[in-house]
Amino acid sequence: MSQYEELTTTMSDQQYLVEALTELGYKPEVQPEGTSLRGYGGVAWNRPVQVTIPRDQLRGALAPIGFGRDATGVFQAVIDDLDRQYLGLDQAWLGRVAQAYKEKQTMAVARSKGYVFRGREVVQTPQGPRVQLRFAVR
Amino acid sequence: MQDKLIVIEIDEAGNSTIDLAGFQGQGCGDVAKDFRGDDAVTQSSKKREFYAQVATTKQTQRKV
Repeated sequence: MSQYEELTTTMSDQQYLVEALTELGYKPEVQPEGTSLRGYGGVAWNRPVQVTIPRDQLRGALAPIGFGRDATGVFQAVIDDLDRQYLGLDQAWLGRVAQAYKEKQTMAVARSKGYVFRGREVVQTPQGPRVQLRFAVR
Repeated sequence: MQDKLIVIEIDEAGNSTIDLAGFQGQGCGDVAKDFRGDDAVTQSSKKREFYAQVATTKQTQRKV
């Protein structure tokens, strides 16, 4: 039987998290007051999560994914251990979420501070793709 | 005068580097601060140009 596990993230802004998940092709649901998670076979997570990816968006998954705030306001990911192991919904997947999150955050900062966007490029490196954003000063 | 250019790279773990060129004096620090937000700086170095009036800096940062 599977069980939920909590994975650490450093993401704390719900808007950027939702935008990042959307960019990765999901339609995340937001429950400001938090909700519990229920998956196949009775797997459950009873601590509140504010952002969820429903199971039907995770092809073949046993359980939905949740992101719940910890005591410091940082989101922690809640993922079924078998989905993590067999569907690749693991730390690397979470890293891609964090990469998209950081890009959204950076673009928002640049807009708010008046920097001029000069382009975006994905640079392939041995350590994986890196998103390169270029800005100029107005 | 050299254009002021900001290049930010984000890796697959969400860690980022910021590379600044064409800035003078405190200007580069202000820009780095804008983009750093609450992130922790794990590495910071000044390029040779920094010591020739035009300041450039490169920082690596990681979310805390």
